[in-house]
Amino acid sequence: MAQNKTQQHIRTLDIDKKIVANIDNGIIVLNEELNIYHFNKWLELHTGIKESEILDKKIDNIFNHINSKTLKRKIKTALRIQTPTFYTASTSNYLIPIKINQLKNSSFEYMQQDISIIPFDEEKGLVALILTDQTIMANTNALLEANIQTINELNSELLKERDTIDKKVLVIKFDKTFRIVDISQALLKLLHYDKEELLDKNFLFHEKYHMSKECQMKLVSAMKELKVLEFEESTLSAHGHNVCFKSTLIPEYNARGIHVGFIIFRENVTDSRRLAQSQEKILASSRSAAMGEMVSMIAHQWRQPLSLINTIMATLKIKKELNALDDKAINEAFKKIQTTTSYLSDTIDDFRDYFKPNKKSSEINILSLFDNSIFFLKEEMHQNNIEYNIEVEGNVSINTYKNELLQSIINIIKNSIDAFIYSDSKIENKQISVSVQKLESHIAITIKDNAGGIEKDILKRVFEPYFSTKSKNGTGLGLHMCHTIVTGHLKGNIIMTSKDNTTITLIELPYSILKGKK
Amino acid sequence: MCSFDLTEDEKDVLQELMNVAYGNATAVVAEMLDAFASLSIPNIKVIQTDELLATFSELKSESYFFSTQAFNGEFRGESAFFINQDSANNLAKHLELESSEDLDDAILELTNVLTSSLTTKLSQELNTEVSFSLPSLSKIPLQDISKAPAFQYYSQVIVIDTDLNFQDQQIHGKIFILTKDESIQWLKTKLNSILELLI
Repeated sequence: MAQNKTQQHIRTLDIDKKIVANIDNGIIVLNEELNIYHFNKWLELHTGIKESEILDKKIDNIFNHINSKTLKRKIKTALRIQTPTFYTASTSNYLIPIKINQLKNSSFEYMQQDISIIPFDEEKGLVALILTDQTIMANTNALLEANIQTINELNSELLKERDTIDKKVLVIKFDKTFRIVDISQALLKLLHYDKEELLDKNFLFHEKYHMSKECQMKLVSAMKELKVLEFEESTLSAHGHNVCFKSTLIPEYNARGIHVGFIIFRENVTDSRRLAQSQEKILASSRSAAMGEMVSMIAHQWRQPLSLINTIMATLKIKKELNALDDKAINEAFKKIQTTTSYLSDTIDDFRDYFKPNKKSSEINILSLFDNSIFFLKEEMHQNNIEYNIEVEGNVSINTYKNELLQSIINIIKNSIDAFIYSDSKIENKQISVSVQKLESHIAITIKDNAGGIEKDILKRVFEPYFSTKSKNGTGLGLHMCHTIVTGHLKGNIIMTSKDNTTITLIELPYSILKGKK
Repeated sequence: MCSFDLTEDEKDVLQELMNVAYGNATAVVAEMLDAFASLSIPNIKVIQTDELLATFSELKSESYFFSTQAFNGEFRGESAFFINQDSANNLAKHLELESSEDLDDAILELTNVLTSSLTTKLSQELNTEVSFSLPSLSKIPLQDISKAPAFQYYSQVIVIDTDLNFQDQQIHGKIFILTKDESIQWLKTKLNSILELLI
């Protein structure tokens, strides 16, 4: 019984009214014609309108923007189906205009509202509108939507970039246990592998057959120390071709800075390696071509002394037959023969020295260098009536690789001599003149001939390998080799110009190969 | 066979109850839209969620509005309503709506009316009560719908496929009642007690 009394007591409490007055929601009771039956305290406080001022008035007259047709329809439906109908903040924003005075909700001017229209009194046709403040939620949604938009844009940009990297950059990724986790399409294409063939394979194991022991050691120690390493490697493609890479190993970390594996970026240097190798081959064959030319030069050199020896021998023989041979004559003849044979021997020594590339640079006098060069060529120039002169400004010495420079100069002068020999027209006053000037940072050697000049189209290509206008007689390597030596080994420049019947070759060389310039 | 599958008898009873509920919904929709309307006899199926997702792939080419509304109680779940662009435009024309927000609101209203009248009537027949959450329009593109959480939480789906016909224009919509296994179990018990009364 006591319990019943308590229950009765509780029943008499006007719970509904108190809650309606204090709840954090707006509550309006309306009939089907939109007359106001109740306007709770929360709404009074938020709108500044007293319930007493608006009781029994039509809500759409007080708040003009309300679409009465829609509201009436919703009320009618709620009463008909006896379950709530709704306005949602996401589609309708608000029903009762309540200005927001919080700065953080500034993206909306009015409070965003969810409204449930609850059937309240079927007989009287009354509904209760429960209004919930959804501004924070609406703001969050708006913010979220904007952020999602940004993320989507960034994501699509990222995907595009990733796609480009995948297609263009040679990259391989593996985890801490060296298990391959990703390989770019570009690398797969180059090596003719399918991704599945390499994924999950151990990187070190896969590469170890193609990588030098030294390279492996370096790589492993860089991995242990989590260092960036630049190295050169080569590997085999699925088709068995050797592919050379210039590679960079980079340890990879996740967003939290934890080491997860490694990335190797590779640059395909197979072609440039091949080029370097073929460059070496060209140089080697140019040397043997030059050797051939030298042999013919030596032959020129030897012809005269040999015929001299021949003459001495013949004279001795005649004198003997005439019984005119005395000790003096024999001694003189032997002396002459001795001098001549030692000259022949010197020629061979010079020739041999010339084919030994210098390992060390040395101080050389330009004038004596030209004398040496001309020694090999003067016989040929003489035969072809070519006048040679040299003009050196003071005493010029530079520090460089002697034999390389000698080889280049001989080549250029030989080229001029050949130009005279192969020239169609008859040239008067055949001349090859050399001048050497001292400039501030370098010396300039100018070699000039009047052998008819070179056509523009040909001039552009004279330094190309295997380019020759001498058909059968030329290897096409001479000037190419000069260019390689002067610009590469001797750190200088070489330019060839031609005007009318004159061709000028200009060689610029530093005072010292060690410093580059004085 | 899954223990949550409905037997033929259970399906029959459910179809009957749904027909009643649907009749009720038709009347309400007609009243709400203030026009003579008829709803075609609903085609009711109980299918697995993955079957449902397969049916969505057929809709991909069309532009759709998709809204959901949760309901709670002993019988709990979520309803999903699809209405294509043409039907939505017809609805807007009929209700003389001015803005796209008004159309969104009208679609939500239609969702609410259909969900409420169907489930309320059904729950009345099953001697229980349900309460409804606010409906919401989903912005998920149709091709991503299989990833929508709503469809991943439910195993069985009651599909009610219907046409709303007006005097001069057609509005076609599909409504799906998504339920969890526990509700299907509850539903089976209720349907069986009705079956026992009938026998």
